[in-house]
Amino acid sequence: MSKEEPELKVKIKGKIRDLLAFSKLTSKREKKIEKASAEPIETDFLKQLAKNLHPNYQHLIIDKIIKETKSSQTFRLIADPESETKKLAYFRAGQYISLKVNINGYSITRPYTISSSPTDVTRGFYEITIKKEENGFLTNYIWENWNEGTKILSSGPEGFFYYQPVRDSKNIVGIAGGSGITSFRSIAKEIAEGILDINLTILYGCSDEEDILFYEELKDLESKFPTKIKLVIALSCEEITMEGCEKGFISSDIIKKYADIRKNTFFICGPQMMYDYIDGEIDKLKIPEKRIRKEVYGEIKDVLKFPDYPRENLEKIYNIKVHIGNIPKEIPAKATDTILVSMEKAKISPPSSCRSGECGFCRSYLVSGEIFVPSKSDGRRAAEKQFNYFHPCSSYPKSDLEIVVPRKK
Amino acid sequence: MHKLNQSIEEEYDAAIIGAGNGGLVAATQLALEGKKIILFEQHNVPGGFATSFVRGRFEFEASLHELCDYGPESNKGGIRKLFEELGIDIPIAKVPEAYNLIITSPNEKLDITVPFGVNDYINCIIKEVPKSEKSVKKFIRLCQEVHEALNYIKESRGNPDKKILMGEYGNFLRTAAYSLDDVLEALKIPKKAQDIIKGYWVYLAIPTNRINFTIYAAMLYFFLIRGAYIPKHRSSGYTMALEKRIRELGGKIEFNTKVEKIIVKDGKITGLETSHGDKIKTNFIISNASPTLVYNNLIYPDSERPDVGYQFVNARRHAVSCFVLYLGLNKSAEELGIENYSYVISESTDTEKIYESFKNLECPRIQATICMNNTITDASPQGTSILIITSFFRPKTWTGINENEYFTLKNKIAMELIEKFEKATNTSISESIEEMEIATPETYSRYTGTYKGVTYGYEVDSWDSTLPRLMRMNEERYIEGLKICGGFSFQGVSYTNSLLSGQITALLTLQELMNEEGDDE
Repeated sequence: MSKEEPELKVKIKGKIRDLLAFSKLTSKREKKIEKASAEPIETDFLKQLAKNLHPNYQHLIIDKIIKETKSSQTFRLIADPESETKKLAYFRAGQYISLKVNINGYSITRPYTISSSPTDVTRGFYEITIKKEENGFLTNYIWENWNEGTKILSSGPEGFFYYQPVRDSKNIVGIAGGSGITSFRSIAKEIAEGILDINLTILYGCSDEEDILFYEELKDLESKFPTKIKLVIALSCEEITMEGCEKGFISSDIIKKYADIRKNTFFICGPQMMYDYIDGEIDKLKIPEKRIRKEVYGEIKDVLKFPDYPRENLEKIYNIKVHIGNIPKEIPAKATDTILVSMEKAKISPPSSCRSGECGFCRSYLVSGEIFVPSKSDGRRAAEKQFNYFHPCSSYPKSDLEIVVPRKK
Repeated sequence: MHKLNQSIEEEYDAAIIGAGNGGLVAATQLALEGKKIILFEQHNVPGGFATSFVRGRFEFEASLHELCDYGPESNKGGIRKLFEELGIDIPIAKVPEAYNLIITSPNEKLDITVPFGVNDYINCIIKEVPKSEKSVKKFIRLCQEVHEALNYIKESRGNPDKKILMGEYGNFLRTAAYSLDDVLEALKIPKKAQDIIKGYWVYLAIPTNRINFTIYAAMLYFFLIRGAYIPKHRSSGYTMALEKRIRELGGKIEFNTKVEKIIVKDGKITGLETSHGDKIKTNFIISNASPTLVYNNLIYPDSERPDVGYQFVNARRHAVSCFVLYLGLNKSAEELGIENYSYVISESTDTEKIYESFKNLECPRIQATICMNNTITDASPQGTSILIITSFFRPKTWTGINENEYFTLKNKIAMELIEKFEKATNTSISESIEEMEIATPETYSRYTGTYKGVTYGYEVDSWDSTLPRLMRMNEERYIEGLKICGGFSFQGVSYTNSLLSGQITALLTLQELMNEEGDDE
């Protein structure tokens, strides 16, 4: 402070009163605390709301199994009355639940889109629709073991694949492949119920007429709400008996024919093969990223398709030292298995949900070793990359590893 | 089944509850001193509020706007020094201006961009309000005295010489019991200049006739002399650096693990128990969880819960929670005409009236908005930008909402906040939203576990401001071996205070650990 300035003398209510006010600060504080009630705080409504919207677990029970096609079934799930799950969590059409299934001591998770409408939650149920995969470890088990009355443990609703009114166009185009139609069934139902005020065109690609899911139901909604819902089927098989459908994969030409590529928001959900194809078609149409919403890629089926995968490792089996809780455990890990799968095979079950590198549930710490992360499934944050954190569900070992894995919630 | 065989039963020098700003620093500091520590966090990532998340091609900062008291290499602030002491080095960026304050009510219209730097700040206000020169300069001198007085108290390790305080820091003492408004009025600062000075009130979010003057002056002065900074990799840039550092130093961190019981015997900490069945023996706990949660939910058994613990909580007022809209825009800030990093957009200068609007389930009448790319140019891919709009609600306001209304309500408020931003800044952003996320008090409750999603700790009225909290700290320790750090601690809310509280509680714990060892010998 320069010398020529006069000394600063601040007075608020009076020199003495101000000092007195200061000296009384602590006694005022003591009195406030002394006089306060010694009762517990009131219940935290937001904590309850958070629990209702995002439960860690939901205990479900199969209420009904509906055969949809030769190879697909819908499972109607309700809250298990014998459990702490009193009501199902509300969700946004397009979201998934991650089921936690225990198969002979192996604990695995699998995300399934909810195919019923959010309003059905108030009626007490979710529906998920599953296609039996050839040689599918999990679906084989489901077909053999799941009956009405079977209890199932699930996550809360997860995922970001839903219509967002502030962001998206009111005219949306759903591009579905195979079981990917489940999201659009949920959205279509919510439109039909008058809750979601948008228009939906579904371009639904199937490899076979027999595999088309929800055909009658969606056609029925289309006829009842012709200005709001439209269904277009594209069949990629040789023999086609169905009328009025498109032939082949959902190409840029088919998209252009049914959609306004300058305005609509495109929601894409289907198997990995479809994603790999549709990316090229979307590129041709030059639709900006803003108007493309994609459901997560899913657990990578074939890591060899990524050109940057280190092929020389193909046959190798590495050793991973896993620290979980107070336990260190050494496990074998195939170079072509994700680290999460290797852990599950070794009966260590860390938390997981999306199995696509997006949700962060399995986030772990890499103490030493090298990993391969396909860029398609790399949902890590900048700091995670910098400080050696990774998602076991979308990472492959490139050497022996030492990792620290969280326990489940 | 897995829970049992993975659970931890061990003795530690100290256990830390919560990996927020305070907990992370406390854990690192103790590990650095060679202590055997364990840190529990109920969420699956570190940071608490200090974190980030990814949507599409955008990584959003969860809550940090401006890190106070960091400073440049040439003028290191407390936080820069703290990070150096803890051994972390992170990429960081300097915020260009303090804030662009926009008052939108027709009879109060104001649009002013306030710079950092004492002289630039004074000149900016004088230019806008020519008659304010004398009083504003006086105000800044007072802020400087507050700053120096607090430094002196810190250097004296909380035992200042009363004579020195009276002799050299008389103005500091005489203003310490008053509100920001009281002091600005007494200094006869013209109203318009007062309104400009009060811009940072959004970082405390209680009306300026209740914000304690000392705490405001200290914060403002730090911003002016050291500027503001943000980590390039968001706040997770340093929270994850700390997480890694703790592990390197031999500390243990357990995520997804909720501490359920703080075990107390005869008024002393003896250990804790968690949701995973861990049974930890320790005589020292540092809690990043608030006194509200500690005294109401955690102390075990009930007979060890002191009545005064409840009173200590009930005497105070829980501060606001936030409503934050995260926008990933598919145009650059330049293309959109977003010129500044930090905006404070308010419908009125009447902070009491604005605060009242936090009590209704309508769009709050103030927003603090940042455009990340105007500090970190490459915060998002080229040709895109990130805009984060923050507003506030009182913790009770969201009570009674049902689940299916919740999403509609969020979107409605978000839409209005966007409109208000567009109108105030004369920009158009709603057509450029590529990614968005909305966080409400429910979101903060879920991710951080704070009571009712409260973001800003306890309100800092003069009787509950940093100074009286510090002066009564020893008396307000109701359980031996337990200390509280973080946004609800003695330091008061803010990133800077939370971080520093972690270090202080760790050093105090260390002292007690040393005394204990001394006793053993």
